[in-house]
Amino acid sequence: MRSRNRTVWDWYLNGIRLRRGRRPGFGTLSFVTSKSTRRPPPGQEALSRDFIARHQRARVIRALAEEVSEKGYRAVTVADVVSRAGIARNTFYENFRSKEGCFLAAQDFAMTAALERVVGAAGEIEDWPHRVAAGLAAFLRYVAEEPALARACIVDALGAAPDAVEYYEESLQAFVSLFRLGRDVSAHGPELPDTLEEALIGGVFWILYQRLLIDEPERVEQLLPELVEFALTPYLGAAAAREVADEAEVNPAGVSGDQKTE
Amino acid sequence: MNPSVDSPEYPPELARLPPGRHGLPREFVARNQRERLIAGLAEAVAENGYAGTTIAHITRHAAVSRRTFYEHFSSKDECFVAAYDTVMTELRQRVDDAFNQEEDWPQAVRAGIAAMLDFLTAEPHLARLSMVEALVAGPVVIERYDAAIQSLVPYFEAGRKGRSAEILAGLSPSTEEALVGGMVSLISRRVFADRAEELEALLPDLVEFTLTPYLGSAEAAKVARAA
Repeated sequence: MRSRNRTVWDWYLNGIRLRRGRRPGFGTLSFVTSKSTRRPPPGQEALSRDFIARHQRARVIRALAEEVSEKGYRAVTVADVVSRAGIARNTFYENFRSKEGCFLAAQDFAMTAALERVVGAAGEIEDWPHRVAAGLAAFLRYVAEEPALARACIVDALGAAPDAVEYYEESLQAFVSLFRLGRDVSAHGPELPDTLEEALIGGVFWILYQRLLIDEPERVEQLLPELVEFALTPYLGAAAAREVADEAEVNPAGVSGDQKTE
Repeated sequence: MNPSVDSPEYPPELARLPPGRHGLPREFVARNQRERLIAGLAEAVAENGYAGTTIAHITRHAAVSRRTFYEHFSSKDECFVAAYDTVMTELRQRVDDAFNQEEDWPQAVRAGIAAMLDFLTAEPHLARLSMVEALVAGPVVIERYDAAIQSLVPYFEAGRKGRSAEILAGLSPSTEEALVGGMVSLISRRVFADRAEELEALLPDLVEFTLTPYLGSAEAAKVARAA
């Protein structure tokens, strides 16, 4: 009974809700959970004729993120974004319908890029606790490298349009499957509550939200040990979780580099 | 000192007050109008969402004049802040009462979470107002929203008291923040999806989730699943 429910639950929680057709980023999810991580085949990558358009789109997205992280979502106008990106107003409207549309695109852009980092760092690690640590490390690294985008997508998304809030909440569910694998290595995996992963992810992102709210993107990577410990404790118990967290503290690069099997 | 309702100083909508309330002090009338506006806003927002709500919607639900609205609030945002504060004060009071009635900390956590879920289940419109609409109602409300979530931290910090050195060593300074963040995220996703009816079933999961760092998995599960 319970396991049958879980299949449905998994499907829902995985966040692969493409029904609305605006969540292409979640396609990378399978790379997070499967062992073999390969980038999408070259055919799915940009054709050269699209390159300029894509580049321009990315520039607008970054400009929006910078504007939003400086002024707050409400205060930003399309004119601000256009002038910051140094593009024509027409070009903006060729790519996006509105500020709201551009913001959703920014969320998707950032989430896709962050997930690719997570996949690249964690996908090939066999040992689950280290896989989680490496994934978190890669995610935090991305946040630190893209402070404006991260702030826009993690902090300002909550105050933006209802669609943006929903996207934020649902996109985080992409991490559910990665966490859920911990049930297989946990001594009490089958008894863990169904909603555990959802709650852990909510907790991790609330910490990130708080840290970015006070404008400390450069300190975000220091959160790694405590987040690792928080995420692993329910599966492994406090002592074993602490060990992995300590390793991450001593050598944050190590969890994403040295542990790779091959 | 207590002019009758017929006095021209009173706006006509007061005639709608229940008969027993005639001749009440001005202060009361004002408070009453304010409360009606707040209730009116909650109804209007439930119907139209925050962005779609106009001051006309609010005054219609509250059955007061537009002028009365502006005597109390300068904008829709300001009225929303008042409504948000009203809801959160009530919620906070219920959680606090429930928590304080239990001596044993794990039971107190359980009672506090149960009280919160009860309130949000019984008042789905207010749940939406405080967890969904609040997020798009401007920076002032967002600040209050953050503060409201963070104000739950001390209930969990109380669980550190009397724990072994080994357990305390495993609790990072942000443990409680992560717990409340996780808890609120579980709740708000369901409110967001208009599935408030699922909230009560979250009780055991939330209790287990929040107690595990302090009690360990097995003990936390026991408290969570006890009827």
